[in-house]
Amino acid sequence: MSETLTARPALAGIALPGRHGTGNGAPGVTLRERTDLGVVAVMARKGQGEALRMAVASAYRATLPDTARYLAGQTVGFVGTGPGQWLAVSASLGGGALAVDLTAKLAGLASVSDQGDGRAVIRIAGPRARDVLAKGLPIDLHPSVFAPGSAATSIISLMGVTLWQVDETPAYDLVVFRSLAVSFWSWLTDSAAEYGYEVVPATN
Amino acid sequence: MTIGTPTDQPSRLAFGGLIDRRLPLRFRFDDLELTGYAGDTLASALIANDVKLVGRSFKYHRPRGILTAGSEEPNALVELRAGPRREPNTRATTIELYDGLAADSQNRWPSLRHDLLAVNQLAAPFLGAGFYYKTFMWPAAFWEKVYEPAIRRAAGLGRAATAADPDPYEKAFAFCDVLVIGGGPAGLAAALAAGRAGARVILCDEDFLAGGRLNAERRGVGDKPAYAWAAEAVAELAAMPDVTLMPRTTVYGVYDGGTYAAIERVGDHLPVPAPHTPRQRNWKIVAKRTVLAAGAIERPIVFGGNDRPGVMLAGAVRTYLNRFAAAPGRRAVVFANNDEAAATTADLAAAGVVVAAVVDTRRDVPAATREAAKAAGALLVAEGRIVEAKGGRRGVRSALIRNRDGRDMHLACDLIAVSGGWSPTIQLTSHLGAKPMWDEARAAQLPGALPPGMAVAGAAAGDFGLGSCLAEGHAAGADAAEALGHDRSSGAAPVADDEPAGLAPYWHVKDSAGKAFVDFQNDVSVSDVALAVRDGFRIAEHLKRYTTLGMATDQGKTGNTAGMAVLAEATARPVAEVGMTTFRPPYVPVAIGAFAGHHRGKAFRPTRLAPSHAWAAERGAVFVETGNWLRAQWYPEAGETDWLESVTREVKGTRERVGVCDVSTLGKIDVQGPDAGTFLDRVYANTFSTLPVGKARYGLMLREDGFVLDDGTTARLGEEHYFMTTTTANAVKVMQHLEYCHQVIWPDLDVQMVSVTEQWAQYAIAGPKARAVVAALLDPSQDVSNEAFPYLAAGPVTVCGGVAGRLYRLSFSGELAYEIGVPARYGDALIRAIMTAGAPHGIVPYGTEALGVMRIEKGHPAGNELNGQTTAHDLGFGKLLSKKKDFIGRFMAARPALTDPGRTTLVGVKPVEPGARLRGGAHFVPRDATVSSENDQGYLTSVAFSPELGHWIGLGFLANGPERYGEVIRAADPLRSADVMVEVCAPCFIDPEGARLRV
Repeated sequence: MSETLTARPALAGIALPGRHGTGNGAPGVTLRERTDLGVVAVMARKGQGEALRMAVASAYRATLPDTARYLAGQTVGFVGTGPGQWLAVSASLGGGALAVDLTAKLAGLASVSDQGDGRAVIRIAGPRARDVLAKGLPIDLHPSVFAPGSAATSIISLMGVTLWQVDETPAYDLVVFRSLAVSFWSWLTDSAAEYGYEVVPATN
Repeated sequence: MTIGTPTDQPSRLAFGGLIDRRLPLRFRFDDLELTGYAGDTLASALIANDVKLVGRSFKYHRPRGILTAGSEEPNALVELRAGPRREPNTRATTIELYDGLAADSQNRWPSLRHDLLAVNQLAAPFLGAGFYYKTFMWPAAFWEKVYEPAIRRAAGLGRAATAADPDPYEKAFAFCDVLVIGGGPAGLAAALAAGRAGARVILCDEDFLAGGRLNAERRGVGDKPAYAWAAEAVAELAAMPDVTLMPRTTVYGVYDGGTYAAIERVGDHLPVPAPHTPRQRNWKIVAKRTVLAAGAIERPIVFGGNDRPGVMLAGAVRTYLNRFAAAPGRRAVVFANNDEAAATTADLAAAGVVVAAVVDTRRDVPAATREAAKAAGALLVAEGRIVEAKGGRRGVRSALIRNRDGRDMHLACDLIAVSGGWSPTIQLTSHLGAKPMWDEARAAQLPGALPPGMAVAGAAAGDFGLGSCLAEGHAAGADAAEALGHDRSSGAAPVADDEPAGLAPYWHVKDSAGKAFVDFQNDVSVSDVALAVRDGFRIAEHLKRYTTLGMATDQGKTGNTAGMAVLAEATARPVAEVGMTTFRPPYVPVAIGAFAGHHRGKAFRPTRLAPSHAWAAERGAVFVETGNWLRAQWYPEAGETDWLESVTREVKGTRERVGVCDVSTLGKIDVQGPDAGTFLDRVYANTFSTLPVGKARYGLMLREDGFVLDDGTTARLGEEHYFMTTTTANAVKVMQHLEYCHQVIWPDLDVQMVSVTEQWAQYAIAGPKARAVVAALLDPSQDVSNEAFPYLAAGPVTVCGGVAGRLYRLSFSGELAYEIGVPARYGDALIRAIMTAGAPHGIVPYGTEALGVMRIEKGHPAGNELNGQTTAHDLGFGKLLSKKKDFIGRFMAARPALTDPGRTTLVGVKPVEPGARLRGGAHFVPRDATVSSENDQGYLTSVAFSPELGHWIGLGFLANGPERYGEVIRAADPLRSADVMVEVCAPCFIDPEGARLRV
């Protein structure tokens, strides 16, 4: 069959680009589905923790965080999600490429499982990002507590979420399960509407 | 007299007050069109307009007015707004006036002024404490049908809206170093001290204007008027980046771990909330330290007719005069047991209100009170009491005053300002279970053991003087900040004098004439308390339940202390011994909508959408909720009117040609690692370590107790890589089980697992033409012939131009079938590609109903059979239990009761009359036996109409099932009056040899 398959963003037809909510001026936050990210679960094999660290350091110039943090490497960053467990994230190795790369480079040291299609990643950025997230995230995002590189796995509006702070805008990447993306978007936009929000087209 | 400058607000003072006279606001109360000012509450605007009668009481329909100026108000309850926004039992004292406000009095008929139900008062002798318990005991059947409806009509308060609330509500989380509860003098001082020291501070104040009694008293702080100091404090706090001011926010509950619940009335002061903002926001605040500066609530002295409109707490009188520039009366009598009498008298006189008398219960009346009375030209009655407030429905007309010699005098008045002292607002200190402690000197309950991290400052701690409030608040704020590591850089504490208190406890006038109320909102009088004591209820908690004292929406904030004092007197015990009823959250009523927040309607819980959802919706699929998933149930076509018609077409299309079904919702778990095979051998009852790479196998999982947990197929994708599937319903439970087994039981195993349910879009393609459709989807040179890719084969493929997918030759339908998986982002494109590739073969999409029909035809157990009560033996899977290895549930599954041959086991049934319809849930009884539980031999779990057989079929559990094939039994369904004779058969109706699977 010659027809090729087109990828569909998790929020296709739902996240409508444009200015929404209160006001017409600068929005309180911008929202964007990040379809460019490769997301892969990396789980250390028994007793291979140190070897894995070295392999990650040499392959990606990245450090595996011991806690809930996001540490960026050259092309791949790692988010601690549990003891011996990370999410590897890469904007340059999208689709299934990241899993293929990790599987090859970490053979015998870690089990690697692609999660890039199982998750939807939403970038929220802007001066009111903390106020929006406070309407569902039971975690303190004050800059003295949660800074760029801080990460957490928690729950928002009954949906599991992993997030990390990207920069001091502040901007956050929120990782949710793909099947829940529409429900999550409903909570997110309801919560952001008070401050005005702008939906930026999904990145591919 | 300075009252009455604007004609439409006859009791508005000519000047003063924290209201904006440039902003008149129109509002309606019942049939009165009135005007108030920005800064008014509904209560203050009603007072300015001389409206005294505001509501009717709960039980006796007695006329009631405004007693307080805060959220403790028991009387002035109204229905606010109309239609779906109608909000009953709203306290007029907390409603911020807005232009166009509409409120109605409640609990009256036909009108507030002519309430026919006031005849209840005539029955008052019969409506005392314990009335319901004593009167409506017999006959029992009358309670529900006669008594309760009649009582509900007559008693009760406002009417709830009947339509759904159109406004949104939200939840939110906040975190801080120091939470300050209350924005009065102590709270402002505490927030300033903590904020200046650099702490993250949240200040919650239930008023829309911070300041508390600073705005209500003619006092000074330092060299400034008190209200001006409050405004400056608020401005300083607002300028601090790490201080959050939360006006209109009541902290209503204390929970473990420094967690507080607070309700923010975001849009209640507007006719309709601003676009995109909620009406209310329910906060969960986590604080490292808390300063409770909630102030105190004044309590009345109990006397005859003390519930009449025009009887008002002295502090509230001062609030209305000083903050709102509204005079609650023109001729007042002040009645107090403490030094409040002096300030109240002075403030009334300054506002031009005639003070006819100051009735002081104390033997030695202090000079300040004497002087205030003298200056106001008021008669001072020392050691006196008011035995009755007389009047009509428009309120008080006179006071019957008795002096120390027992001589009575009648004084005309339309306002009785009463003060029985103040009760610290300590409710929050008790929410974790601590009991308050009675303080004899202050005649008040004080906080007992405090919740961890909480300090109490000012009036809430029983230190009522303004100077004490400021000093304690400042110290508490500075201490909290210092304890959290901040420098002690809070500056100097604000300074004011302490006013005298001079309280001499005096709770109720024993020689009152007429009914004297302790709890206004629930119409509990002194005689009710006395009756309860005579009936044997001497414990505070018992008294509460027997009389309903303190059980109304105000939770007895004004009445409880006096109620306990009356109980103490009646039982000749000290108040300390009587104690206090338990304080529980919420401190103020909270709307249910605020607890629901975002989670209402479709957002009640999250919805999971399958990869084919958008396509299925375009096609007009009917969806069904399975757990959180929304799955296509069937796909109706034009002209089809009945679900069975659609489902039958889908089954026939699949069995005769080819069908496709989204099976992505099944749980999928990636299991990897050198010990993956060993791990699966231990969690499955059958063996997986021997499964060749490239093959799949059916697996059965037991619980520890030997019953079946779940089933599914697991494929081996590599030496150290398995791909497990679970049922949709048990996906989470199985994942938890596996994590538990690995982390707790066998941490030594080198195995890793992660859910990939969401990663893969997976479609079942089933039917005689399935191979042709699959072949058309795969990229060239991938052989799916029966030889190259036989039944139960599994492996990687590339699909439609290079997408890395997986193919499994699995069948739930019993037909030649494949499951094809691609990364979920391609799921939408793949279902469209499948439909295109299948079009030449007449492909039909099928939903969960057709899926169910086909699995019943094949006798595959599903959720109805895997119901947590069935064993492998019951399901006919006994031979799957490996005897060569250990596995979870092996030992317990061997218990005699679980292997008893007499247990009910899975069978098929078909009706003896071919046209008869079977119904799930029917019970099996022998053919000629009566339908009774003694004869119960099992039940019918799943039924379907089989298009291929042309009649209904069913699966069920039957005692000694396999031995009874061919026997005719009854499937009895007494609930639906259906009784069908069925023939027992093997639980597989179509292709029992499985020939179709292997072509």
